[in-house]
Parts: sequence; structure tokens; C-alpha cells
Amino acid sequence: MADSPNMKTLQSWMHAVISHPDGVAAGLGSDSAQSSLSVDSNQLESVVCRSQACTSLERLAVYNNAYFARLMDCLEVEFPALRQAVGEEAFGAFAIGYLQSYPSQSYTLNDLGRRFPDYLAKTRPPRDGDSSLPDWADFLTDLTRLERLYSEVFDGPGEERIPKLSHAELSAISPEAWPDHVLETAPSLRLIELQFPVHEYISAVRKGESLAPPGASSTWLVVNRREYVVRRRTVGRVQFELLRRLVDGEMLGDAIMAVVPLAESEVEDLAQELERWFAVWTREGFFIGIRPAPSKSFSSEA
Amino acid sequence: MSSPRLGHPHLGLGVGLRSRHYAHILREEPAVDWFEIISENYMDSQGRPRYVLDQIAERYPIVMHGVSLSIGSADSLNWDYLDRLKKLAVGVNARWVSDHLCWTGIAGKNTHDLLPVPLTEETLSHVADRVRIVQDILERPLVLENPSSYVTFACSTMPEWEFLSRLCEQTDCGLLLDVNNVYVSAYNHDFDPEEYIDSVPHDRIVQVHLAGHTNMGTHCIDTHDGRVIDPVWALYQRLHQHTSGVSTLLEWDANIPEFPIVHAEVLKAKQYTEALPTASKTSFAGESDASGREEAAQTVLPHPAVMVAAEVE
Ligand SMILES: [Fe+2]
Repeated sequence: MADSPNMKTLQSWMHAVISHPDGVAAGLGSDSAQSSLSVDSNQLESVVCRSQACTSLERLAVYNNAYFARLMDCLEVEFPALRQAVGEEAFGAFAIGYLQSYPSQSYTLNDLGRRFPDYLAKTRPPRDGDSSLPDWADFLTDLTRLERLYSEVFDGPGEERIPKLSHAELSAISPEAWPDHVLETAPSLRLIELQFPVHEYISAVRKGESLAPPGASSTWLVVNRREYVVRRRTVGRVQFELLRRLVDGEMLGDAIMAVVPLAESEVEDLAQELERWFAVWTREGFFIGIRPAPSKSFSSEA
Repeated sequence: MSSPRLGHPHLGLGVGLRSRHYAHILREEPAVDWFEIISENYMDSQGRPRYVLDQIAERYPIVMHGVSLSIGSADSLNWDYLDRLKKLAVGVNARWVSDHLCWTGIAGKNTHDLLPVPLTEETLSHVADRVRIVQDILERPLVLENPSSYVTFACSTMPEWEFLSRLCEQTDCGLLLDVNNVYVSAYNHDFDPEEYIDSVPHDRIVQVHLAGHTNMGTHCIDTHDGRVIDPVWALYQRLHQHTSGVSTLLEWDANIPEFPIVHAEVLKAKQYTEALPTASKTSFAGESDASGREEAAQTVLPHPAVMVAAEVE
């Protein structure tokens, strides 16, 4: 090589060499490395010096060895239950595939796992025959979705410093006015529908207990944060649907009416159940306010 | 420069704040002089990490140490990142803000590693321009650390200490001198660590880092997973003789023990600064496994990433 490479060329080249999944030699020969700097292992010393003890290639390999290992460690911190469910080898394969498809583009490692659930869902193996039953791949995707959700709720917006709506405040609203009110849900509140009860499996892994992967069973979870710790609570389908509508800002009356048909088959006495649910939900800090919906007849104000 | 440490105070002996120690620190309020945080773990946090940090910042001086500035990258600077960095610095009353002389990625990708720059005139002017921009945005001097490195480039034209000296001169930035990194890089690149320690601009050193590393025989890896070895303490002592005392911080990022063990490790610095026993000559000879650790780390990982795991009930 005659001239020294400029900074951008050198960095593009080194990035290609050290982020190749098959090692530094494969990285050196890769198209992306060669298109930046056309050097083979014999010419490598014209770019990277050797030391007394190591060749240029051995020295570069330190960075290549570290690249996937470091990021895989981070994914393991975020997805311990997935790691437990599939074992070290398969987890490594998932992680490397993911990191190749979605290399980090963020300054923060908190973003690293953001698309991992999508990646697993998109790259899942085809279903067995014409079965539409939830399978192992669905279980893994569910695990990953919930583990990611936990991270987002843990470090995302919360309501620790916001007063919560109490059951007394809710009860103070007259039965006639109630239906036209909108609840303001707490910033951390998230709803997730799953095909497996992965929350129990995740909790067991986090406690260091061993638990066999559960069978499929429709699971509706409400996840929120209290005193900076993530909490999850299973709810029935009717509760979940009602909460979903309230999170979307529907008026209480509309939201309740919308779940009546669903409730008919699943809930014996909806009025009584509603009373009980709202008592639990306010105690759990799901809401931070209630206000009358903007009046329909005077809704022309901005 | 007339005033030492860019005019910054000598904070004493500090410890890198890690989530594993949150509960201990809040409960015991240990007599640590100061804490250094990994900026990226807190700049977006709206949860427990930031809540804990705010409490700790009420009781201890905080210094911010970043890993994603990528001052040496050919990519453009990330304005959003700098904006958040500045907000955090104001929010926790950071005594200063540091990062590394390195690049972390290119073409928008982040390796989350601290990659070495070629030590050339081109790099120097590129980095100097960017340091000035960052200092303008942050409205404070930037403090840059010498990273551990595992390669050197054929195109480099000057030693790292000269690059850093000239960078300080051109930009008025400060230095975070990682004595362990000097040792690791000297071992890896066959240079004399004492010459490096003697040659850096001592009045620019705002802070010192200490850490453990792993000796692989042919090279050393900056694993931050153990005690500081004696030859690194010798370099620390040598540096102390050149300065009027500098804020010193221990980094421990893998196999992190209980807080008192980490704290005790940095307190050893007193032995090398107060009594000033004759420093032993730093020699690579005879060093085998860095700290005599029995079990080799499962993955020998340079610069382990610092993450905060979600806490779930
Ligand atoms: Fe350091």
C-alpha cells in the first residue's frame, strides 16, 4: 500500500474486520472490508503493526472476539429467561443473527434488545403441518416480548412522583356522570397479550429456580412499576379488553358497553365485578386522574 | 496552563457506581470520597437508576464518564446525545465530564467498544476540532481518557502521550489518565510505560483511573475484573510524584465483589501517595496471571459493558 488510508476508510475497514461473525480472517477477506481496503493477511502489517509477541491478525482478533461476546453479554442481562429456555448455544446463535440483522445504532445499550422480539418472530421456523396451535417458537417470542417490556417499564416513564387516583376519588363521582368520564392511566402501565404464561417462567429464572417451560395458555398481563420495581398482574380477557379501551382514552361508559358482549359468556355479574376490578386497579395505581370527557355538543373548542 | 487539574478539585479516592451496589450505598452511606457514573446508563433513565443517582448525588460528588461520544469517529457528532449529556451533567451537578480518545463505530453503527485511533496529524486535527465543538456545547472542558488498546497502526506518526499532549495544548481539554491502560497498552505495544507516565502533561490530569486486567501471556486485556496489580500501583506512585495529587477512581466491571472490597481496593492508593515508599521499577517480567486469580474469566472481555438489569417483583 502506497498511501496511508484516510480515517473513514480505515474505520470502515476495521469495523468490517472486527464485526465479522466468522472471525477476523473471514472479516479481512469479506467484501465489505475489501471494498474499503484491499489488503490480505500478508499485507496486513502495512495497516496494523505486529507486536513482539503477536501478529497483526492476532491483535485484531482481540477486537473481533470481543465484539459479539460483549453484546451477547448485554442481551443475556436483558433476556435471562430466553437464555435459560434455549441454552447457551442456541441463545448465542439467536444473538449473533440478531446483531447482524440489527447492529446497534444507538449510543445506549438500553436500545440493544429493542427489536429482538420482532427478529425472533420474523425468523421463526415454519409451523408443523397445518397446525395453528402455539408452538415452541411462539413461546420463545412471548418470553422475549415480555422480557423486553420489563426493561422498558423499568427505565421508562413512571408515576412514582405523581399522585395516584384513589378508589375514594373514583367513587365520589356520581353514577350518572361516571359514563362520560375518561380515566388517565399511569405512564408505566402496559398491557400485553401472550399465548403462554411466560411471566411465571421469567420470574422463576430471575429467582434462580428451575421451572419447566409452561404449556400454551392464553395470558393477559398488566405490567406497571411501583417504587421503581416492575410488577405484573394477570387479568381475565374482559378486564384486559376494558383496560385496553381505557388506556386508549375511551369514555368509561363506552368502554364498559363495548365489553358487555364478551362479559356475557365469561363474567357472572358484570356490575359487581366492575366494582371489584376498579377497587383493585386503583389500589395497584393504574390510574392517575379522571376527568369529564369533552362535551360532544361543545367540542368545537380547540 | 498554570493551575493543576484544569482548576478542578482533588476529590480524593472514588469508586465507579454500579447497580449491584445501589442498595448498599443507600443503606450504609459508605465513606467514599466520590462516585463516577457511566453517563449512558443514566442520561435517558426515568426509573430506578436515575432515582438512585439523584439520591447519591445529594450526598457525594459525581463525575460523569461516557463511553459513546466517539470523539475519534469519522461519523458526525450526535447532537441529540450531546444535548442529553449536558442535561445530565447539569442535573447531577457533575464535577466534570469525561470520555475516551477512541471511536466506537462508523456509518451509524455502534460497536460499544473503545477502538483506537491512528495517531496521525489528520486524526489530531479531526479530534481537536470535535473536542472544541463538544466543549462549546457542554460549556465546560472535556476530559479524555487514554484507552487500553490491542492494535497500533502503521500510519501512526507519534506516541500516544504526544498525541494527548498536543490535543490538550490545542483544545484546553483535560486528561483522565488510566494508569492500568498505560500498563496494558505498553505491554501490548512494547513501549515503556514509565516514559509515558513521565511524558504526559501532568498539569492537565484531572483524574486517574485504576483497574485490574488479565494477562494472557502474549498480551494483556483490560477486563476490569479484579485487583490492581503491583506494577500498576508503581506507575500510579510514579505519576503521583509528578502531580500535586489527583482524584483517583477504581473501575470494577466484571465479577464485581461486595462494595467494601471494591472500596478497600481504591483506598490502597493511600499507601502510595501518603508514605511515598520507594516505587519499585515497573517491569513486565514475572507477571503471569494479573492478580493471581484462580479461575480464568469465562470470557476474557476487554472493557466489559456496564448495564443495569431490570428489577421485577
Ligand atoms: Fe478507564
